[in-house]
Amino acid sequence: MLLYVRTVHALSRLCGLAAATMIVASVLIVCQLVFMRYVLNASTVWQTEVVVYLMIGATLVGMPYVQLIRGHINVDLLPLYLRTGAPRRRLFVACVVLQAAACGLIAWFAGHLWFEAASGGWRSESVFGTPLWIPYLAMPLGFGLLVLQYFADLLTAIDCDDPFVAPEKRSPAAQGEN
Amino acid sequence: MDPLLLSLFVLIVTVAVLFSGVSVGIGLIIVSIFFIVWQDGTYGLAILPEVLFGKLDSFALLSIPMFILMGAAVASSRAGADLYAMLERWLTRVPGGLVVSNLGACALFSAMSGSSPATCAAIGKMGIPEMIKRGYPKGVAAGSIAAGGTLGILIPPSVTMIVYGIATETSIGRLFLAGILPGLMLTGLFMAWAIWSTWRQAGAHVVVSNIKYTLAEKLELAPKIVPFLLIIVGVLYALYGGVATPSEAAGVGAAFCVLLAVVIYGMWRGKALFHVFRDCTKESVMIMVIIGASGMFGFMLSSLYITQSIAEWIIDLQLNPWALMAMINLFLLCAGFFLPPVAVILMTAPILLPIITEAGFDPYWFAVVLTINMEIGLITPPVGLNLYVINGIAPDIRLQTILWGSLPYVGCMVLAIVLLCIFPGIATWFPEFLMGPAV
Repeated sequence: MLLYVRTVHALSRLCGLAAATMIVASVLIVCQLVFMRYVLNASTVWQTEVVVYLMIGATLVGMPYVQLIRGHINVDLLPLYLRTGAPRRRLFVACVVLQAAACGLIAWFAGHLWFEAASGGWRSESVFGTPLWIPYLAMPLGFGLLVLQYFADLLTAIDCDDPFVAPEKRSPAAQGEN
Repeated sequence: MDPLLLSLFVLIVTVAVLFSGVSVGIGLIIVSIFFIVWQDGTYGLAILPEVLFGKLDSFALLSIPMFILMGAAVASSRAGADLYAMLERWLTRVPGGLVVSNLGACALFSAMSGSSPATCAAIGKMGIPEMIKRGYPKGVAAGSIAAGGTLGILIPPSVTMIVYGIATETSIGRLFLAGILPGLMLTGLFMAWAIWSTWRQAGAHVVVSNIKYTLAEKLELAPKIVPFLLIIVGVLYALYGGVATPSEAAGVGAAFCVLLAVVIYGMWRGKALFHVFRDCTKESVMIMVIIGASGMFGFMLSSLYITQSIAEWIIDLQLNPWALMAMINLFLLCAGFFLPPVAVILMTAPILLPIITEAGFDPYWFAVVLTINMEIGLITPPVGLNLYVINGIAPDIRLQTILWGSLPYVGCMVLAIVLLCIFPGIATWFPEFLMGPAV
């Protein structure tokens, strides 16, 4: 169990790194685009499309990491009302199961879309014509890994008083046996 | 089922799901899945990944992570403290100079960083202890910083305005311009209230300071701050001059801000740069997931004919436009109490825009009114993020004092909305003056 949690946490951190790298790459490409377009007066072919796909990739692949650090904003009235302990843990489990089910469904249908794009040789309608399986891959990957992160959250929630807080921010008392 | 009854059902389910504690983005996906399965069965779900991808597949959206990176670089540096110190030295002889410089620093810093909690933390950490030391009432000190932090979503460049622009297909440059005068008016109202309440509660001797600074001391911090301000001005100029698109301007601005943070504040050391990118990734992913999910939510509403039905129903009621506007404001205010501004805008703008344009209101003016409503949500319970940030950085001030101290600023915001309703030109004149009438 601990091995699963550690592996998924490591994967989620890797996703965070990949997302940050994609954001930095898109900043650099936008600067190159501006230089080409406004300084050299040259036309740009691939930049606009690539930065948009990088942004989509960063968003979807970054989801598991943001879940790991509990960065997805939520309305925490009910969790706060329940304070810590068993009722709050039960609410967390219910929320995580609901979210994992929804993300699992999206990952499944996104996987179908990705397969169709890959097998059908779909390309974007621009001059650059990006093979669409590349950007589409971010959807099953991001949502699939997010489901794995939710399962890891469930496992850590069993022994934890305050599962709504990110693992590294929990107080020693709230960490439980984990 | 009747579309209006269905709308009520969707509203109840959405509130129940979002209040359960699930994240806002995934919560919207859950609601969308539920109603699409309810309407079309699981067959209908196959389209959702394409809807999500289509919503995010936009070059204009790229400006959001770019502006967030720009803000993260500024927020992680000592720029906030330096900005506060510089303004305090320049404004020390002005009556209420300390609170005025705090609010001015909040307005500038929140515009630069785009983050309300980061502004409260950066300016409040120095500003609140200094104000208390010089005899300012605790409520005024805490309330002014909490309220000042909200100004960033109105004063450009503002991510909230970008999201509104994308959701309603209005010009982002024009929206930014529309926010400037109301932002300055609100800052002025905050300052006036802060000076008056300090004078009333603590006496004139606190309001007037005897501390003097030399010109060298006043200019000492300018080389650190002015380059950041120049980048913001440059980005805005590029936008309004039609030189570049928001994403291009924000991308170059972000690169320069990171570069300046590294050069001026030595942020290549240790984990400083790592924190900038981590904060940017966290914030960007969170907002972009909400945007993508709102695409699914909007698709579901539209498939169930809810968006159109509500708009038609309200138009058919033939309400007095101002009664309608009051109702919309009340609704937005309630939504803002619980939900982040981005989620409120994305969920309500597609429904509200046809209603308000049909009633004869300007969509740019409405963006400003909506944003001020969202600002109120940032300093009112139960969510009121800024209140908790202030509570965290100034633990010796009770949450109750912070709350009561912030309440008059909510009054200032309501007054600003009333003034905007009486004089809509405050929001519409500047963009029309610079860019001509909206098409």
